[in-house]
Amino acid sequence: MNKVIFRAADISKSFPGVKALQQVNLSLNHGSIHALLGENGAGKSTLIKIITGIHRQDHGKLMLDDQLLQLHGPHDAISQGIGVVHQERNLIPRFSVSENIFLESLGNKGQTRIDYRAMHEKARVWLDMLALDVDPATPVNRLSVAQMQLVEIAKALSLKSKVLLLDEPTASLTSHETDTLFSVLHRLRDSGVSLVFVSHKLEEVQEICDQVTVLRDGVNACESRPMQGLDRQDIVKLMIGRSEQIPDWAARARSTSGIALELQDVCTSSGHRDVNLQVRRAEIVGLYGLVGAGRTELAKAILGKDRIVSGTIEVDGSPATISNVADAVEKYHIGYVSEDRKQEGLILMHSIIENVGITVWQQLGKARAFLTNRTIREHVEPYINKLEVKTPSLNQYVNNLSGGNQQKVSVAKWLAAGVHVLIIDEPSVGIDIKTKAYLHELIRELADTEDTAILLISSDMPEMITLADRIVVMNDFQVMGDIVNTRDYATMSEAIMNLIHRKQADKPTTPQTTPQPDNRAAL
Amino acid sequence: MNNVSSTQPPTSDAMRLEDESPPRTGSSRLGPQLTRLLLSNEFGLLALIILFSVIFALATPGFTSSFSLFAMGRTAAVNIIIGFSMMVVIVSGGLNLSVGSIGVCVAMAGGWLMQVAGVPWYLGVVGALVLGAMIGALNGIMIVKTGLHSFIITLATMSIFFGVMIFLTQAGSFRELPPEYVQFGRMKINGVVSPLLIVTLLIGVVLSVFFRLTTSGRRLLAAGANPDAAELSGIRVDRTIILCHALSGVLAGIAGLMLVSRTGAAIPSMAGQLGQDWLLPAFLGPVLGGTLLTGGRASVLGTLLGAFLVTLLTTGLLLLQVGAFWVQTCLGLLLLAAVLIDLSRRTYLARHNLI
Amino acid sequence: MKRQLNRYLQSDWFGPLLITIAAIALVSWFNPSFLSPFNIQILLLAIAVNAIIAYSQMVIIAIGQMNLSVGAIGGLVAISFSGFMEVWSIPWPVAAFMALSVGLTAGYINGLFVAMTGISAFIITLATLSIYKGLNLGITEATPFYKIPETVKALGNSNFIEPLPWLVLPTIIVTFCLWYLLNRLPVGRFILAVGGNEHAAELSGISVRKTIITAHAISGFLAGLAGIMLVARLQIGQPTIGDDWLILSFAAPVIGGAVLTGGHISVAGTLLGVVIVAIITQVLVLFNVDPFLVQVVLGLLILWAVGLNKLREVRAARSMDELGAGA
Repeated sequence: MNKVIFRAADISKSFPGVKALQQVNLSLNHGSIHALLGENGAGKSTLIKIITGIHRQDHGKLMLDDQLLQLHGPHDAISQGIGVVHQERNLIPRFSVSENIFLESLGNKGQTRIDYRAMHEKARVWLDMLALDVDPATPVNRLSVAQMQLVEIAKALSLKSKVLLLDEPTASLTSHETDTLFSVLHRLRDSGVSLVFVSHKLEEVQEICDQVTVLRDGVNACESRPMQGLDRQDIVKLMIGRSEQIPDWAARARSTSGIALELQDVCTSSGHRDVNLQVRRAEIVGLYGLVGAGRTELAKAILGKDRIVSGTIEVDGSPATISNVADAVEKYHIGYVSEDRKQEGLILMHSIIENVGITVWQQLGKARAFLTNRTIREHVEPYINKLEVKTPSLNQYVNNLSGGNQQKVSVAKWLAAGVHVLIIDEPSVGIDIKTKAYLHELIRELADTEDTAILLISSDMPEMITLADRIVVMNDFQVMGDIVNTRDYATMSEAIMNLIHRKQADKPTTPQTTPQPDNRAAL
Repeated sequence: MNNVSSTQPPTSDAMRLEDESPPRTGSSRLGPQLTRLLLSNEFGLLALIILFSVIFALATPGFTSSFSLFAMGRTAAVNIIIGFSMMVVIVSGGLNLSVGSIGVCVAMAGGWLMQVAGVPWYLGVVGALVLGAMIGALNGIMIVKTGLHSFIITLATMSIFFGVMIFLTQAGSFRELPPEYVQFGRMKINGVVSPLLIVTLLIGVVLSVFFRLTTSGRRLLAAGANPDAAELSGIRVDRTIILCHALSGVLAGIAGLMLVSRTGAAIPSMAGQLGQDWLLPAFLGPVLGGTLLTGGRASVLGTLLGAFLVTLLTTGLLLLQVGAFWVQTCLGLLLLAAVLIDLSRRTYLARHNLI
Repeated sequence: MKRQLNRYLQSDWFGPLLITIAAIALVSWFNPSFLSPFNIQILLLAIAVNAIIAYSQMVIIAIGQMNLSVGAIGGLVAISFSGFMEVWSIPWPVAAFMALSVGLTAGYINGLFVAMTGISAFIITLATLSIYKGLNLGITEATPFYKIPETVKALGNSNFIEPLPWLVLPTIIVTFCLWYLLNRLPVGRFILAVGGNEHAAELSGISVRKTIITAHAISGFLAGLAGIMLVARLQIGQPTIGDDWLILSFAAPVIGGAVLTGGHISVAGTLLGVVIVAIITQVLVLFNVDPFLVQVVLGLLILWAVGLNKLREVRAARSMDELGAGA
């Protein structure tokens, strides 16, 4: 049972200016599920790309069945029996399920004409094995995200994968779909496949994995340890190098301050039903939920990007009609720090000063004929200094900054704009521990000293419990309830999970596909 | 579409180690600033312009004659404006295939206003340019409303605008234009400088100011670089796109009117079938000048120098008795060479952390 | 039954087919001479050549790119073909073979640059457009080749069965071959896979570079074929052949439901797109509408088609949400 089937030994990899991996080890047992953990930027993706032949390691070797592996490209890894399901969907949207499954073997020598009927029949076998009930002739763009994921697993299995890597497979699944996926993974493990499971949801990892490897800053924090005997705190300690602490901040009561933002019975075009939400001045309201609960979509509806079908929004006590983001920013002083820093938060190819200044051009431009860099600089520099953005110059392109500094820039522009309401979406994705703690203090300070009302969206439970005064729980595009934060991790996390699962218990058992336009667009 | 540089280093997953400013390993002896200057597009273009000027001056006696210089400046004036009219759209991350078509439409409208409607030439110019802005804005509105790529929209409208124009004019020309207007295109200041070139330089200054010192210009750059981020920062991206297409229409119109004043007549075929003849000069200027095809960065000076280099090469090659048809081949090769050099330059800068 | 009908309604060729039939019925009712053998022959001649032009762009749209140089390649091949015959007195089948190799090479060069540099096909083909066109004009100095062998002329203007012109034959063969290539052969599927999701295709072991080069080579070959057919039809080797192909080459595939971002085209739809364009052009002539307006109509057709495709996409996404919720 404990036979090692695959081993990565002393793997090192550098990119220009970055040592991504240094002498990393990982060994995989036959018929097991192995967790690969680490913070964003710890080197997980790089390791996966090396194992699957996308990158080549600078040093070290890969062994499969005690044979040395030389991978010159993804094709080599596939033919050796190493399959992967990447984080982003890798399917051809208009091709059928079966054609996607067998895309690799289409070009095999000797194969000239494609026999679709035979292909559909062959696909049936894999679909049955994964208990996926779809017609193999269906184009994959007609499937739900979860079904697409299963098609990708079928695709990897059809290549006789002995080793299967799953990179964040549950990131866009509902909890029901996750359960289905896990039963499939158990079955695969029992049939002798070795799985590598990458996830940032520690609860899932503990539930399903037998062994764990943790990376931190490109080195092993632990290597192929049995999962047994490790609890959540141990894993966190391995990942971040110290134990996770909820800072001992005094609880604040904000029930008397004025209401900055209020949603009454709001329904949106993206599918929210009867959402009620209140954020008072100087209050930090957490919006917790699993991926796909509709939190980011709600933020976009408040900003006027998605349409509000019914219900009212009030800003500072008076009704607001926000028809576009420019309205939200200029008329109602609402700002939004996006979860997707690179796509939505920043303009990577522009300088720091342009990124921070973008929200004040309008206001500064009104008073003068020409908007010089100096004018903008005078206005924004204090905020950049205040946030301690580390950069040789304000003209540095944002692309060249570290994740933490990038995040500081995307917060700085809203400080410069002087917003009254700030919606912050997943603020600590991809940033280091130190910056994260710093950002937390900053957010708290912003509420305390500037009276800013803050709506914090996060899937990071400790972050939520650290920061929020009140936690509103969302699931399936509805508000499930809200809880005043007591800052006691155990009781709070239990209360939150209860709120989420309350809904799931009384829901019909049919798999629910939440409308998620963004996931589909990614395909 | 338009994935011009696919040579970005894999920074996304190979994140930089936190809080270390990127190591600067630029050429040790020159210093990064100087290397960057020497590798900049503008510097390279200037060097090429000087180099070719010397070559042509030595090789052909006619090149330095005042008439040749005058004619070259006048042609450059038009080519530069055509380049600008494409540049302002490229900045927004799109493109405008209908520049030639709009240019001819505006030219014909100007001709009609001056000759048939009999308005004074300056009102004719203004009226025609308003039309250019409207046609351009129409492109922009359709792109914004349908969410389709500007390529296919402007491909369709280039056919539509040209078709309507040729239908209305029945392919006839306007040849009796006010003498002051025609004179303008033939005037020589100090015997060499065409007033058209001065107009072009002024427009270049205005555009520079627009991109550097105005809210709208900054917004256009932001919207072109990353429309999602720009919108979430409170920029009306849709309006910005419409504005830049309107601006493109005006600039294309100016180029058309300049040609009218130079030839003394408004002729429907002045930009070829559907205005396609302008496409190459329209892209040559900005691409040589280092305007990113993915949007978000503009170089007014680069476009100006790029278009000037193209004119210089054309003039020189023609004087060297290279047939006009072969010059077209040369320009195609030049465009190809330019994008390849640009690619390697960018790769070099990226590898040495100078971008 | 209902499901079958639904499937037809969703297919790309069904809408254009209905429009074609309705247009033919309507026009022949107004003007019976529309269905006269002579007129049908004229229509078929136009369709035969235009279909090949449209296919040459369609193959590139399938990989999510564009080829501005189809017309320039067509022109270059046309004058090579007629030049080989007139200047070097090469027999026409050999000349055609050599000229087609020129087209294939021109397309191959396009593909090579696009695949190797990663620079957008738009810029590369804009540059090669001007190179190929310049070569064409430089060689011919803008004067046509007049000495076309009688056999070629005959193939260009006679019928093999009334009222089917000879030129329809290559179009029928190419249509079938393309359909087979894109639906049944791995190479064709790779072209569509790269257009649908380049990254995924690469991870599945498909050589993206080879596929891009193949598609461009096919495009160059087809553009050349259209050029040769036009020499036969026009009875002279005009250097201006190809100058007016650009709009048409995009119009027909788009009317046929092609997605400009790649991964989805329809051979039948494209053919019907060509038929619709040909009928409309004919109608404008039959009803004495100003021929200058043909350009306007072509442009409007593109706008209409892309608008409709977009609408269908949006509607498909919406019905998928409902479907997904019900599943």
